[in-house]
Amino acid sequence: MIVRVLREKCQGHARCWAQAPDVFVLDDEGYITPGDIAVPEDQERAAWRGAKSCPERALVIDDGATAA
Amino acid sequence: MSVPEHVPAGLVRDFSYWTAPGMAPERGGDPQGALAGLHDGPPVFYAPNNTYDGHGTWVFVRAEDQRRVLQDAETFSSHRRLFEQALGEDLPTIPLEIDPPEHGAYRSLLNPLLSPKRVMAMETANRARAVELIEGLKDRSRCEVMQGFAFPFAVGVFLEFLGLPQSRRDEFLGWADKQFHGTPEERGEAIRTVVGFMRELVALRRREPADDFMTFVVQATVNGQPMSDREAVGMGALLFVAGLDTVAAAIGFNFRYLAETPEEQARLRGDPAAIVLAVEELLRAFPTVLMTRIASHDTEFDGIFIKAGDRVSCPSMVANRDPAEFECPNRIDLTRENNRHVAFAYGPHRCLGSHLARRELVIAMEEWLARIPSFRIAEGTAPLTYGGHVFGIDDLELAWGEKAVAA
Repeated sequence: MIVRVLREKCQGHARCWAQAPDVFVLDDEGYITPGDIAVPEDQERAAWRGAKSCPERALVIDDGATAA
Repeated sequence: MSVPEHVPAGLVRDFSYWTAPGMAPERGGDPQGALAGLHDGPPVFYAPNNTYDGHGTWVFVRAEDQRRVLQDAETFSSHRRLFEQALGEDLPTIPLEIDPPEHGAYRSLLNPLLSPKRVMAMETANRARAVELIEGLKDRSRCEVMQGFAFPFAVGVFLEFLGLPQSRRDEFLGWADKQFHGTPEERGEAIRTVVGFMRELVALRRREPADDFMTFVVQATVNGQPMSDREAVGMGALLFVAGLDTVAAAIGFNFRYLAETPEEQARLRGDPAAIVLAVEELLRAFPTVLMTRIASHDTEFDGIFIKAGDRVSCPSMVANRDPAEFECPNRIDLTRENNRHVAFAYGPHRCLGSHLARRELVIAMEEWLARIPSFRIAEGTAPLTYGGHVFGIDDLELAWGEKAVAA
């Protein structure tokens, strides 16, 4: 599972980090660090919850179900 | 009550945050729930008299539309000249009333001070403050929570953050009360008092630096320019406006909900780890702030013409009950996981203090449940709730222990 990070949409709510602190890394201002995230299998559920909790919809889940 | 010429008559509704059903002060009311019915009407409408000083506003009902408005700060400006009337001059509160692109530099300066990690470092002191207040009242069997706990706690955290002595708590409580709930005259006077206080604090910290927020601010540079007094005052004033009434009101709504749902109260008391998630759901169900923006230029939104200068209102409590965004939005489910509520707004002006506010709400609930046995709304009382610019609860009488026997 890949989480695509739309960094320009991040406004620092940090809801993703609250759900999955090992997956979503914040910078010193509390905003997500840029770059898409390859999620380890054992973190997928937490990462899914984190991505779904973004009020800005800045995190898009790509679970490989759709062709690139 | 006049409707501007560019607003089509079909989009005008008789509505205001002060007079619509459930908005006026009412014993035992549910102001947030009262607005859920707006989802049965048009997604955008015009309310001709919908601010405390008599301006009309557009009202955006849907969560998705509020997201579009609040994410587009260039079109929908947050510079509302909040203090202009009281001061006779505009003094923007910062960063709320500065828009992108200038906004970014101020925000970058302040973000680290209120980041999730920094807030964790304040945890011990803030928790001790809550514990002290609750220990002081738990042996009674009854308490008015707003004056007895919610406001003293929120003001205490604010004073700590600003580096001010706790002995000033009552003074600040008085200013906060007048600014948020006073008559227009009292409100103006309170704003002048707070701004005057911040001016003195700025001067003091330039003269005598300390290890505190205002010293950091006055010594900072933004875009290579040293911080001006006016900017520093605008930052201090914003903390006051944003951080007191809002948190206290949220504590009131949360405790009232637990008092009225004894099974949920017992569950959380037995499982404190569930409180973090519960607080998110209560933020969704009972947010206290509505967001106001001003169109910076003529624009069109889904076929609706919005003129430069028009006020646009995005009530968080309405977006948070949007059936397109939340499953069963009117059911309060303290275990709800899929919950991207908008209690702290969307877009670049997302509440700077949101991480601190969340922890204040969690700490308040954890320490209250750990120390106060099963509590209820005191017999013969009902909290006074109201709508307006900041939704609130005036008094909340809770009782615990054995029921008093009527004399």
